Amino acid sequence: MTSVLISDPTLRDGNHAVQHQLDARQIALYAAAAEAARIPIVEVGHGNGLGASSLQVGESLLGDREMLETARKRLVNSKLGVHAMPGFATINRDLKQAVAVGVDVFRVGVHCTEADIAQRHIGYLRDKGREVYGVLMMSHMASKEVLAEEALKMESYGAEGVVLMDSAGAYLPCDVTEKIRELVKSLSIAVGFHAHNNLGMAVANSLAAVQAGATIVDGTARGFGAGSGNAPVEVIVAVLEKMAFSTGVDLYGVLDASDIAEKGLMRVIPSITSVSVVSGLAGVFSGFAKHVERISGEYGVDARDVFFELGRRNVVAGQEDLIIEVAIELAAGKRGGGCI
Amino acid sequence: MHLNATDIVREDCEQVAEEVSTLEALRGECLLITGGTGFVGTWLTELLAFLNDRYCLGVRIILLSRHVQDFRDRVPHLALRADVSLIQQDVRHVTELPSEVGWIIHAAGTPDNRQHASDPLRVMQVIVNGTASVLEASTRLPDLKKLLNTSSGLVNGPQPLDLAGIPETSFRGLDCGSLAAVYPEAKRLAETLCVAYRNQHRLPIVNARPFAFVGPYQLLDRPWAINNFIRDALQGGPIRIQGDGETVRSYMYGSDMAWWLLRILVRGAVGASYNVGSSRGVTLAQLAEMVAGGLPKRPRVLLGVSPVQRLHHSRLVPDVGLAQDSLSLRQTVDLETALRRTIWWHELRGRVEGADRGSKSP
Repeated sequence: MTSVLISDPTLRDGNHAVQHQLDARQIALYAAAAEAARIPIVEVGHGNGLGASSLQVGESLLGDREMLETARKRLVNSKLGVHAMPGFATINRDLKQAVAVGVDVFRVGVHCTEADIAQRHIGYLRDKGREVYGVLMMSHMASKEVLAEEALKMESYGAEGVVLMDSAGAYLPCDVTEKIRELVKSLSIAVGFHAHNNLGMAVANSLAAVQAGATIVDGTARGFGAGSGNAPVEVIVAVLEKMAFSTGVDLYGVLDASDIAEKGLMRVIPSITSVSVVSGLAGVFSGFAKHVERISGEYGVDARDVFFELGRRNVVAGQEDLIIEVAIELAAGKRGGGCI
Repeated sequence: MHLNATDIVREDCEQVAEEVSTLEALRGECLLITGGTGFVGTWLTELLAFLNDRYCLGVRIILLSRHVQDFRDRVPHLALRADVSLIQQDVRHVTELPSEVGWIIHAAGTPDNRQHASDPLRVMQVIVNGTASVLEASTRLPDLKKLLNTSSGLVNGPQPLDLAGIPETSFRGLDCGSLAAVYPEAKRLAETLCVAYRNQHRLPIVNARPFAFVGPYQLLDRPWAINNFIRDALQGGPIRIQGDGETVRSYMYGSDMAWWLLRILVRGAVGASYNVGSSRGVTLAQLAEMVAGGLPKRPRVLLGVSPVQRLHHSRLVPDVGLAQDSLSLRQTVDLETALRRTIWWHELRGRVEGADRGSKSP
């Protein structure tokens, strides 16, 4: 039976869904539930990862240290994971602290064509004996050949696996199959997939990834994550078991954890809104959704137009300040409406 | 007896230098080493410095490198010697070499596959353009006795898993459409450049194909299994192995490598290529256990630390029969000893950097 490693970023990607306002009680609550469910990796932090709390992308209620220490106390067999994006996360300020707190798994995320900037972070963490994965974000923006070359860089830097992130929820299953297959063929290390559900494809895409050879899959409770959310971890575990893949996760436990998360963490369960569909079609990072809706309201423009224009500009995470620029231009009538 | 890290290397040089008369041709000569401040260059300098001190060989050593200051900081006991000169230069831009140079070891070019992946153009330029520059400049030397080009064991292409050791004459295709071909293809072209210069300018060139090495001066952040294992072990473990640990490699200790290269430089036949490495293959799982066994508090070894869909097994072990038979070379340091001394060296270096205190010889 083929094993699939489940990584659960409910307490990281889910933070996007609540403007990074998860509190210590909520983190402790879900971490304990995930531990009871034997979920292998529980990712915790600001939605954009270590060191990202800022005016630009949103300030988190708790600092990184408090979030990590809170989860650490509840995780015994489950590993504590973080997302770290060079630019937000610095080695001296953020990685050292996370190592000291006892983070087990680091996922170093970069834009899908910029693996080079992950070298120092991956090297530092391997030097500290930590488990390190590379994450290629916004992976729909690059061809399978480019992704394979960028992933090979991460392998050469010491990454123990490379995860393709569908940050915009833009993929169809055939896209995932093509790209995961290329990575599995090219790399000697594990390949993973992180889905977003903008087009309702999160579960289907995750299964396509596994069938193409991915051995790491991300899922969050009820899909709690940026935009229209991620692949629901309880569904992923159930379907993988039905397909005779082994996850090691306790089914009742993960179902319970999802119920607990729904009641204790979520203001609303993530759903596919009109805006998130447009976000997926435009290929814009799901984490932009709340900013786009708020700013569009302030400037009296259609959020869908803003998304399509952002898509035309190929914006990536960290360029949230462009939302205002686009909204102002649309409001001033400098640009037309959205169409594809 | 209190030893420091430098003493370990000096002991290694003393042990390997068995038949110094075979290097008599170097007496009083000037030897230039390109890429001279790297792992290969540093070991060559250590060995030559030892031969000068112990046997009055009188070799003047010129190290050409882009990283001269780093060398001064790292190994001042070599950099400050009267018989060692440093030239700060990018090998790609060499136009003129000191006229007194009679022997050259061309060792520029990094085997670090992180750079192969991140900066492939530079890697290719250093190897190909750098080799062309050195060869062209060599044609203007008044009394060049021999030039040793250090190529790579990777030029032979993938080694069949059922072939115990790959000989110098066995070639299999490289996928030139792959980034993984950047380094070996550049090394292949550099070898062919040497052939052309030997043919057209009658340059006395001999070729060495290094495989994998271990020893002092190899930085533990390098992305090779043996370095990672030693680093993990020195930190108390666990030693983490991707996959099932069945990939096979072989390792030669730094002092043997330096001795072999000097002997090939002096005694190797012009136009010939010699594999340089260990013929003893070990699986990575075996290697990890050996590294772990070299420490007083044995760290754990973890196999298959992340799930991999497809296991990529490979084998890279040289057939060194040519060097053994025609040049009477042999490996004097076995892998167990090599690992023990390497770990010891790193421990001493760490202590010196931390508290500057000596250690007793085990």
